[in-house]
Amino acid sequence: MNETSNDRAIIAQGLTKKFGEFTAVNGIDFEVRRGEIFGFLGPNGSGKTTTIRMMLGLLKPTEGTVEVLGVPVLEHPERIRNRVGYMSQRFSLYNDLTVRQNLTFYGKVYGLANAELEERIQMALVMAGLQEHDHSKTRELSGGWRQRLALSAAILHRPELIFLDEPTAGVDPVSRRAFWDLLYDLIAEGVTVFVTTHYMDEAEHCHRLAFIQRGNIIARGSPRSIKESMMRGQVLEIAPSDAERAIKVLRTAQESGELALQGVELYGSLIHVTVEDVQASEAAIRKELGEANIDSGTITVVEPSLEDVFIASMR
Amino acid sequence: MFRRIWALAVKEFYHLRYDWWMPAFMLFGGALELILVGWATSRPMTNLPLMVLDEDQSPASRQVITSLENTGTFTLEALVFDETPIREAMVQGSIYAAVIIPPDFSEKMASANQVPILAVLLNGAESTPATAALRAVEGLAREMGQEIAVKRLGIDADEFAGFDFSVRTWYNESFSEAYYTTPAELALMLEFTVLLFAALAFSRERELGTLEQLLVMPLTSFEIIIGKSIPVVLVGFFDFSLMLSMVHFVFKVPIRGSLPLLLLLALGYLFVELAKGMAISVFSRSQHQAFLLVMILGFVDFMFTGYAAPVESMPKFLQGVAQFIPAQHWLAILRGIMLKGANLQVLWPNLLALLILGLVIGAVSLRYVRRALS
Repeated sequence: MNETSNDRAIIAQGLTKKFGEFTAVNGIDFEVRRGEIFGFLGPNGSGKTTTIRMMLGLLKPTEGTVEVLGVPVLEHPERIRNRVGYMSQRFSLYNDLTVRQNLTFYGKVYGLANAELEERIQMALVMAGLQEHDHSKTRELSGGWRQRLALSAAILHRPELIFLDEPTAGVDPVSRRAFWDLLYDLIAEGVTVFVTTHYMDEAEHCHRLAFIQRGNIIARGSPRSIKESMMRGQVLEIAPSDAERAIKVLRTAQESGELALQGVELYGSLIHVTVEDVQASEAAIRKELGEANIDSGTITVVEPSLEDVFIASMR
Repeated sequence: MFRRIWALAVKEFYHLRYDWWMPAFMLFGGALELILVGWATSRPMTNLPLMVLDEDQSPASRQVITSLENTGTFTLEALVFDETPIREAMVQGSIYAAVIIPPDFSEKMASANQVPILAVLLNGAESTPATAALRAVEGLAREMGQEIAVKRLGIDADEFAGFDFSVRTWYNESFSEAYYTTPAELALMLEFTVLLFAALAFSRERELGTLEQLLVMPLTSFEIIIGKSIPVVLVGFFDFSLMLSMVHFVFKVPIRGSLPLLLLLALGYLFVELAKGMAISVFSRSQHQAFLLVMILGFVDFMFTGYAAPVESMPKFLQGVAQFIPAQHWLAILRGIMLKGANLQVLWPNLLALLILGLVIGAVSLRYVRRALS
């Protein structure tokens, strides 16, 4: 058993958590390989945070087992603490302390001292871009900086595996991109990353994913394999003159059976429809919108995004 | 291990420095209350309004009235001729006491073996001034009784040195109430300070979301509790020493027993309240909840320390409950060492009780720190 589990960072089997009558996590199985970015995707309340808590040893599962870095977490949670890092959903640094005081605290608790501690603090400051601001109070930093700081604190002690729970929530897109660049740098150093998110575009950055909904894993694999296996049909992108009215028209037509559409979703001022037969559908859609006096604009076939796949799988 | 604990303690000190107004408020608020209570209870009572109903109208009765005024405790409000004005004044609360001199007073005074009687009516709704009034009248009666006894016995007044009364007030000859109240205030202040800080220790972290991170770090539950306790203990002990000096030097309450022993036991008691505060914070969902729980428990303890009313006069069941209140034992130790010069031989049952209570409460906190997260 041990030879194969060396290249697995996490092995979860039948992991279940019930809170009274409510089942938050329902017997899930998954594996995370070393050195990869593994994404857990799902809406709020689907069981992502509960699963992370169980993997960290903060919560005891009702049933099932989980092994992290070869350690059975149920029996010996304390053995992984020095080897993993955690960035929680809520900002977990102290607002009333300065950047340096926070990093010093983290470092000392994880057993870093003197020259090594100072070296790692410098690394963290550089990584977060806060070299000039190490004596600023954390509460003075804005969203993007805080996230980078929290990440650098989480890896201060050079963990082999890090858990990130919705790390980019509430952060602007530019900072989000920068954050993911940092994650790729970490991967290059051999760190394994387990990240949860509900941003579908971020899911595209992961090596492998699992979709979780209401405590169940409904899809798993690489982004490509998920798209291939789950997508039935193709996605048409429509750029109508009046997207709001258009979507109502199309949905009514879908429900009445007039149009054979698998999915109709609004993307800002664009509409994505999932169809089996591209050509027939395109014509039918133009006709339907035309009858409602809407100009269909351009209709093109696009690569399905994970969001398309995810929503299609929700039905 | 010590390095981790120290890193946590340093962090807690940063929090304390940032929220410096809280320990400052506790210290100065406590000191202020101590001063007010001590001052209020150490002042002698004077100028209490008194009504006298003189049914005797004799030189003897007039002498009683003059003597009453001379005690300095009373101001003669009115000399009345029946009970009605007295009743009205009592109801209104405009007098605290009334003295009724019966018609046969001077007769009995002059006789060889009859007992003269003075009737004293007290306004029980205001027991503190009423008690002072009673004491003044009793004092007067004692003096007069002495004079009568001397006369009746035929002893020359100049030669008589005075009776030695068997009623003495031990440990508090000056009967200063401050001796009773200020140690109690001191004990309660210590309890509140420590409880509050300890209770906020965890609930603040949970509220901020940082508790989860603490539990993921290589810190054991024991280390977390110790690390968070260190600033609380230091602040609490500093507060206590400061207020003890105040009680001793300003209100002249003596420290008749061993001071090092007192300080050592104070530290021990501090740890017990610390454990209690930690238990509160582990079970509270927010800082507000923790604060309210501290207030409630503080007031319950206030009742049981015998500050307002003696524990012995409570129903047996409640007296039993009182044994489980750490503050009760601490107050006994505090009063014992300060006022009675007691040592461990006398105080060991209280010390033992504190130790047991402390260990039990501490064990509970330790066990539930991690479970409290979910």
